[in-house]
Amino acid sequence: MKPRVAFFDFASCEGCQLQVVNLEEKILDLIDVVEIVSFREAMKEHSDDYDIAFIEGSIQRPMDEERLKKIRKNAKILVALGACACIGGVNKLRNEWTVDQVKEEVYKDADIEGNDLFDVFPTKAVDEVVDVDFYIPGCPINRNEFVKIVSQIAIGRKPKLPSYPVCVECKKNENICVFELGKFCLGPVTRAGCDAICPSFQDGCEGCRGFLDDPKMNCQKDVLRKYGITLDEMMKRLNMFNYKKGVY
Amino acid sequence: MKALSKENWLEFIDRLISESGKEVIGVKAKGSKFVFAPLEEAKELRLDYDVTILPPKKQLLPPHEELLTYDITKPFEVLSRMDDQEKILVGVHPYDVMAIHQMDEIYLGTHTDDHYDSRRKNTMIIASDILNVSERSFAGSLGTHVVETGFDLLVTDIGNSMIVNIGSEKGEELISKYAVVRNANPKEIEAVDRLREELPGKYRRKLKVDKYQWEKLLSENYEHPIWEENSKKCLTCGSCTLVCPTCFCYDVQDVVNINLKEGQRMRTWDGCLLREFTAVAGGEVFRETVKERYRHRYYRKGMYLPVRNGFVACVGCGRCATQCLPDIADPLEVMNVLASYSMHEKHDMPIPDVKQKGITDDLLIPEAATIVRKERQTDMETLYVLKLDSGKELGHRPGQFVEVSIFGVGEAPISVSSSPGGETFELLVRRIGDLTTKLETLKIGDKVGIRGPFGNGFDVKELEGKDLLFISGGCGLAPTRSLIEYVFEHRSDFGKVTILYGCKEPGAILFNDDLKRWHDQNDTVLETTVDGCPDGQCWDGNIGVITTLFPRIDFDPASTISIIVGPPVMYKFVIKELKGRNVPDENIIVSLERRMKCGVGKCGHCQMNGIYVCLEGPVFKYKDVKDLPEAF
Amino acid sequence: MPEDVNIHVKHLTRVEGHGNIIFNTKNGKVSNVIWEVDEAPRFFEAFVRGKSYHQLSHITSRICGICSIGHSLASLRATEAAMKVEISEQTELLRRLALHGENMQSHSLHVGYLVAPDLLGAPSVVPLVKTHREAVVKIVRLHKLANYLSDLTCGRTIHPITLEVGGFTAIPTEKQLVEVRKQLVQGMEVTGEVAGIVLANADKLPDFQRETEFIGLTNDDHYAYYKGDIASTDGGRWPPEDYLKIANEYVVPQSTAKHSKHNRDSYMVGALARLNLNYRHLTDEAKAVAEMFGLKPVCHNPYMNSVAQLVEIMDSLVDSTKIINELLSRGLKEEKNEMEIRAGRGVGAVEVPRGILFHDYTIDKLGNCIKANCIIPTNQNHGNIQKDMEAIAPTLLGKPEKEIELTLEMLVRAYDPCISCSTHYLNVKFK
Repeated sequence: MKPRVAFFDFASCEGCQLQVVNLEEKILDLIDVVEIVSFREAMKEHSDDYDIAFIEGSIQRPMDEERLKKIRKNAKILVALGACACIGGVNKLRNEWTVDQVKEEVYKDADIEGNDLFDVFPTKAVDEVVDVDFYIPGCPINRNEFVKIVSQIAIGRKPKLPSYPVCVECKKNENICVFELGKFCLGPVTRAGCDAICPSFQDGCEGCRGFLDDPKMNCQKDVLRKYGITLDEMMKRLNMFNYKKGVY
Repeated sequence: MKALSKENWLEFIDRLISESGKEVIGVKAKGSKFVFAPLEEAKELRLDYDVTILPPKKQLLPPHEELLTYDITKPFEVLSRMDDQEKILVGVHPYDVMAIHQMDEIYLGTHTDDHYDSRRKNTMIIASDILNVSERSFAGSLGTHVVETGFDLLVTDIGNSMIVNIGSEKGEELISKYAVVRNANPKEIEAVDRLREELPGKYRRKLKVDKYQWEKLLSENYEHPIWEENSKKCLTCGSCTLVCPTCFCYDVQDVVNINLKEGQRMRTWDGCLLREFTAVAGGEVFRETVKERYRHRYYRKGMYLPVRNGFVACVGCGRCATQCLPDIADPLEVMNVLASYSMHEKHDMPIPDVKQKGITDDLLIPEAATIVRKERQTDMETLYVLKLDSGKELGHRPGQFVEVSIFGVGEAPISVSSSPGGETFELLVRRIGDLTTKLETLKIGDKVGIRGPFGNGFDVKELEGKDLLFISGGCGLAPTRSLIEYVFEHRSDFGKVTILYGCKEPGAILFNDDLKRWHDQNDTVLETTVDGCPDGQCWDGNIGVITTLFPRIDFDPASTISIIVGPPVMYKFVIKELKGRNVPDENIIVSLERRMKCGVGKCGHCQMNGIYVCLEGPVFKYKDVKDLPEAF
Repeated sequence: MPEDVNIHVKHLTRVEGHGNIIFNTKNGKVSNVIWEVDEAPRFFEAFVRGKSYHQLSHITSRICGICSIGHSLASLRATEAAMKVEISEQTELLRRLALHGENMQSHSLHVGYLVAPDLLGAPSVVPLVKTHREAVVKIVRLHKLANYLSDLTCGRTIHPITLEVGGFTAIPTEKQLVEVRKQLVQGMEVTGEVAGIVLANADKLPDFQRETEFIGLTNDDHYAYYKGDIASTDGGRWPPEDYLKIANEYVVPQSTAKHSKHNRDSYMVGALARLNLNYRHLTDEAKAVAEMFGLKPVCHNPYMNSVAQLVEIMDSLVDSTKIINELLSRGLKEEKNEMEIRAGRGVGAVEVPRGILFHDYTIDKLGNCIKANCIIPTNQNHGNIQKDMEAIAPTLLGKPEKEIELTLEMLVRAYDPCISCSTHYLNVKFK
C-alpha cells in the first residue's frame, strides 16, 4: 500500500513546495512510490485521509493553529518542510516588535477589529504548536535532501539530519573559504545538508537551515570578530533566519 | 637526469592531454588559490603554486565514492565498479608524494581496498619540486620538502629549462613517447641541487622537536593544558581533517533512489573532530568532549600511526593551519609548545600485538545469508539463525563479529553468538537503530548481507586447562555465549566453569533455556541476578548489581581466567571486585564495544586511542588496555 | 423560480496562496460575488527596517518562492537607486537573463500545471501524466530548462544566491553559457509544440471581454522586464519614482491584501498587460505564437493572460539567446564589486511574471533600511479580479453550478495570482 501524502502551507512563500515541483521528471518516480492526495497549489483533488503530512510555513494566527492541529490528528507522520516551518525563518523577524506595534503600523487606517483574518500572535514554528516527526530544513529545502528523507521514510528508516556544520561540505567541494574573500559566514555553526550551496557561489552562509544542536557559538563569534565584523552586523546576521530575541 | 626546454615541456603536457588517452589532472588556479583539476591545455599548469586547497588524495580516495550498487528487489546482484580511468597527476609536491605513499601503505597493505587499488594502479604521478613555499607549511622541518621515490617523474623548474628525474619504467615510457628531452648538463644538475638545498631556508618557522621525537613528547603530555586551552576555541568543523593529505577516515551510507528500487552504498570522507564519529546506535558517544577530539588528532598523527606503521602521519603541508578559522590546528605550533613546556608525565599507549586472521578479497562486498530461524528472546532482542548461501561455514572464532547488511538501510556490527563450526551461525540482535529495526521485520527465508568475521576473538588455546569465570551483563552474554558453548563442547579441555550473569530486570534475561542447560553442566556454577524486579515480572533469585554475586562464588585467582563482557559502566566495578580477590591483570580478559564500521581498521570509527577495536579487539587482555585512557 | 445558488470555493486550488470565491444568487439575481483573500499577513515591510542594505534582497526574495528572482532584482534596483550605485553592462545583461529564466519557469508552471488541467478536463496534472503523457513531458522539459538557466545565473532558482548590490558574487563561465544556449534553442521547438496543444483546447477559454486599463513597464527599444517607465493602455508614461501616482491602494474588509486603482476602479498587470503595451517589441517567433491565437493589442479578455504567457515563454527563450550572444561577444569578466554607503531613497520597478512590482526603500547613512514599501503585482490585480467577477457573474445565471464554479475559478487562475506575496506591502512610515 503506497503511503498517502499531503502538502499544506501556512504563512510561507511556497518556495519549498515549488522545490518539490522542481523535482521535474523525478516526480513521476515519486508518484509511483507515494500517493499524493492533497497538494493545493497543484491539484484540485483533496482527501483528509493521509499518512504523511508535509507542512510548509509558520503559524501566525489562532485559525492557523486550529487548522494545524486538525492536520496533526489526521496524519501518522508530520514533516516540517523548510525554514519557516522548522525554525520560523524570516517570518520570525517581526517578533522583534509586539503584535500591537506591527498591526498598528500596517493596518492603522483600516477597520480590522474583531476580524479573525488579522488576529496574529508572534510567529511560531510548527513544533511550537504540534509534535513534529521529521524536519526538512533550508530556505528553500534542498531537493536531494527531500528525496533522501522521503525515500528513507518510505523504506522504514528514521531519517537523521547531519549533525555536522556546513564547513564539512564546503571543504569536500574544495571551495575557497569565503572569509578569505572578505565575507562573513555562519557555516561553522549551521547544519549541513545543503551541500554548502551559498559558499559554493562565493556568498557567506546565512544559517537558513538552522544552527546545530550544539553550535560552538562563542567560537563562531570570535572568528567573525577576528575577521573584522562589527557587533551590529554580527547580530543582524545571526538573527536573520534564526531570530531569537536577545539571545546571541 | 634529463632536461627539456620550457616550450618542449609545455608541448609534452599538451601531447599528454590530447594523445595519451589519459586524463591529465594538474595544478591550476582557482581564484587566488590552487587546485588539482583536469587540464585542458598545458598553459593552465601552475607549477609555481604554494599549496592546493585539497591534497591530491581526492583523486585516489574521492570525497564521495560509490562502493557498490544494488537493486532492492534483487539485493545480491551487487555491482561493484572499479574506477579504472587512467590519470596522470601533474605537479604533486614532495610532501604530497610522501602522503600518497602513506596512504598506499594503509590502503594497499593488509586488507587491500580494491577501489583505492584500482585508482592507484591507474594513476601516474609527475611530481614537481617546490618553488614557492606556503606560509604555514613546515615541510622543511620534517624533511618532506624533497623526495626521492614514489613518483613516475619528478620535474624541477630551474628557470630556463625543466629538469626531469625519472622515477619508474612507466615514467620512462611517458617521456620517450611524448617528450623531446636531452641529458641534463652538470650546471643544470647543480641548479637542481641548489634549489633543494636552499628550500629549508625559505620556511620561516622551524620545528623545535624532531619528528622522530614526537611520539615520546606526546606520550609525556596527554594531560597538557594546551588541549583544553585550544579546544575552547575549536569549532569542530572538521576542516583540519578534511584538507589533510594523510587523513583517510571515511563513513559508509546507503542511498536509495526515489523509485525505491535501486540504490548505492556510498563512501564519504569523515573526520574524528566530528561528534558523531564515535556515536553508536544506542546513543553512546565514545569521544564526547571537544578536548578529547581535538587532542586525538595530534596523537593519531604523531603517535598512534607512527607506532603502528613506522611513519609520522604529518607531512607539514600546512593546509590544516591555513584552513583553520580560529587557527588552532597547526601541528608545528602545538608541538613547539609541548617541546618548550613539556609536562614529562609518561603515558604509554602500546598497541597489542595480535596475530590477525587473514581476510581475503571483496572486503566491502557482503555475501548473502538466509534467515533459517528467528527466536524472540525479549521485548527488544531477537536471535537469528543464519546460513550462508554459499553453503560454507562462517569460519569464525568465539568473540568475533560480523557486519550485517540490509541494502538500502545500512550495515551494523553484531557479535556472533554461536560456537564455531556447523552450517549455521547465530546472531543476537537488539532493536536499537535503523538496521536492527528493519531486521526485525524480516522473515524466515529472507536474506541479509554478511561481511566478516572480523576482529580479535578469544584465544581458546590460551584458556585450555584453566578455570574460567564468565561475568556478563545484559547483551554482553551474546558474544560470551559463543565461547561458553565452545567450552562446553570441549568440556574436558577446561577446568571449573563459573558463569555470573546480570540484567536490568527479569524480562531482559537472554538465553533462558541455555542458562538452564549450562547450570546442569559438569563442574559448573551459574548465578544470575537482576538490578530490580518491576511489577508484573516474576523473580525469586538475587536482586542487585552483578558484583553482589561475588560473595556466592569461590575461585582460585591464580588459575582462573575472568572474562568480562557488558555495558561500559560495568567494567570498572567488576574489575575492582576481581582485584579485591587478588586476580592478577594477566588473568582478566575483556570485550569492548566501539563503533565498528569497516571491520578492517581503515574507516577509523572504532579507535580507542591508538587501537582499532575491530583489529586488536573487541577481545582484549586487560593488561594491554588497563592504562589506556579511552578504554574504560 | 430558479433555485438559489450558493458557491463557496474555500482556498482555491491551483493558485499560489489562499483565496476564496463566493457566489450567491437569490431569486434569480446575483446577490453576492466576492473574491476574498484570507492569507496570513507576514509584515515584510515592517521587519526589513533596521536591516543592512546587503541583506535586503535576501530577505525580500522570501516574499515569494516563484518570483524570488524578481523580488531580488526589484530590491537591488531600489537599493542601488537609493545609494546611487552604478552597475556594469555585464551585470545588467546577466540580470536580464536571470529574469528571463524566472519568467519562463513561472509561465510554464502556470500554463502547464495550473491552467492546462482545466483545458484538458482534469483536476490536476497528475492524471494528465497517464492521459496526456507527451504533453506533460514537454511542459516538464520547458520548466526544467528554465530552472537550469536560473540556476546558472543565480546559483539557485528559488531565493537566488549570486545577486548582490552592485553585481554578482559569482558568474557563469562562457562554456556554461554556450551549453545553455544550445538548450534554449531546442526549447523554442518544444514551446511551439506546447502552443499547438493549448491552441487545440483554446475553445475552453471563455470569450469574455471587459474594458480594462492595463499597466506595465515600457521601453523604447526592447520588451520591458528589467527596467523601464510605467505606462498605461489609457495613455501616459511615468518614471518608476512616481509609482504612487498610479498604484493607489485601499483596504477592503474581506481581504488581508489591499486593492489598487488608477484611472478606473481597477487595473490589470501581468503578461497580457505587457503584451498590450509592448507588442511591437516582441521577437518574431513570439509574435508568431500570438498570431496562432489571434492575440493582438489591446485584448481585454483576462482569460487570454495564459496565452500571453505562452507568447512570453517564446519571447524569453529567444531574447535569452540574444543576450548570451552579446555576453559571449563581449567576453565575460570577473568584476570587483565596490561601493560607497550613502543615504537616500530609491524605487526599483521590475516586471515579474505576474506583473509590475515596485520596491521603494529609504536607506540611512549607515546603510540600514529605515522605510520600505512593496507593491506586489497581485495586489494590483485583486481589484480587477473583483470587478471581472462582478461583470461575468450575471452571464452565468442559469448555468449548471459546476460550470459557474469552474468559470469563476478559471477566471482567477487566469490572473496567475501570487496571493501570499500580496499580503506584504505596507504604505506606512516607520518610527
